[in-house]
Amino acid sequence: MVLASVAELINSVWPAGVMMLGLGGLFALILLVASEKLKVEVDAKVEAIQGCLPGVDCGACGFAGCGAYAKAVAADPELIGKCAPGGSATAEKIAEILSLSVGGGSAPLRPVIHCNADISNRTYYAEYEGIESCTAANALTNVQACKFGCVGYGDCVSACKFDAIHIVNGLAVVDYDKCTGCTACAKACPKGIIEMVPFSEDAMTVVACHSQETGRMTRQMCKVGCIGCGLCKKNSDIFEVNNNLATINYTNYKVDEGVETATKKCPTKVIIMAGKTSS
Amino acid sequence: MDTLNTLLLGFISIVLINNLVLTKFLGICPFLGVSGRIDMAFGMGMAVTFVVTLSGILTWMIDHFLLMPFGLEVMRYVCFILVIAGAVQLVEMYVRKFFPPLYESFGIFLPLITTNCAILGLCLFINLWEINSLLEASVLSFGAGVGFTMAICIMAGIRENLNLVDVPQCFRGAPITLITAGLLTMAFMGFSGMIK
Repeated sequence: MVLASVAELINSVWPAGVMMLGLGGLFALILLVASEKLKVEVDAKVEAIQGCLPGVDCGACGFAGCGAYAKAVAADPELIGKCAPGGSATAEKIAEILSLSVGGGSAPLRPVIHCNADISNRTYYAEYEGIESCTAANALTNVQACKFGCVGYGDCVSACKFDAIHIVNGLAVVDYDKCTGCTACAKACPKGIIEMVPFSEDAMTVVACHSQETGRMTRQMCKVGCIGCGLCKKNSDIFEVNNNLATINYTNYKVDEGVETATKKCPTKVIIMAGKTSS
Repeated sequence: MDTLNTLLLGFISIVLINNLVLTKFLGICPFLGVSGRIDMAFGMGMAVTFVVTLSGILTWMIDHFLLMPFGLEVMRYVCFILVIAGAVQLVEMYVRKFFPPLYESFGIFLPLITTNCAILGLCLFINLWEINSLLEASVLSFGAGVGFTMAICIMAGIRENLNLVDVPQCFRGAPITLITAGLLTMAFMGFSGMIK
């Protein structure tokens, strides 16, 4: 009984199957011929370069995406090394494909947040209840006492495609393990406190403040601001103090005793280490 | 003369009165998606016209010479989609070879012609309206493509000008586009009943 109905089913179904098979085969044949006839000559180099790019389309190179960059770099080898997420490894691979050699290569750029004040350290004149965006909050100048510091609404967080920056207690914190150095956060920050710094080591000494107010004003507004006292400059010559603000000259960056003493002696503890914590 | 009359009426009917986009509401996805710029809209219209003509003719032939004689009408949808997918692949290769900028600007919408319901809709309508001559079917298919091109080009023209208009904040983007499409549809409803 069951067998009979199965046989009947197969009997009534086979023309459909044969038909589909025939039609499918016919179209496959036509498309096969067409794909041979209408083949597009893609430059093998471009494809190879695209293969070794990260494929995240972050736009750090200045092109629309990884595909556009691959094409551009194949045409103009001077563009090698524009890929921030890929870093020097990708640059080397591209160079290999284009049969060039890359010399040395500079240290990878990583963002540094020039602010160290979380909510408890800051002073507010008013309560901000507007749109939750740094750009919008920045338009109201008198809400947060410090005009230079992190606003903490996370424009950098939404700009980051790698989940490498977060707002912790109202302060942007970079996750250096995930960061690829694509500069998106630095471009997004309306305060301009995110600076791209060449990380010659895993962790770098940074001045985590951007305030150019006088020392007295800074002390009034923030517990951890740079007061421009110049103690660090006396201990190590990598520091410079301009406009009441200490900065580090990264072109001749080196960690020696002077830097360590400066870090210890800084009265507001604004000189900190930034970078990968794991190592 | 009689045949010519039927063909002409059929053509006008499918372009204006039974326009697939504006009166049957088929193929809305590319109609809204690719109607940002008039040159792209025209390119999309051309691609759809090619695919719909090719697949209209092919599906009519498959329907009449293969499916009906063997009593396999139930297979219509599957076969039609197979034909459309094949035709789209062909168009994609062709456009990629000869019009690379157009290929780049289409992006995902080119392979998505496969799922453009206007095309499958037309193939099924040809069957539904019991079109019995190949010539008429091909004229109807071509007319459907022309109608689609016309609709999407009108839309693109309006949207290009819409960019310069002071639209209320809450209507910007998709809402005003949908309202425009609605108004356009109402205008085209005026053609209904023109041919009895």
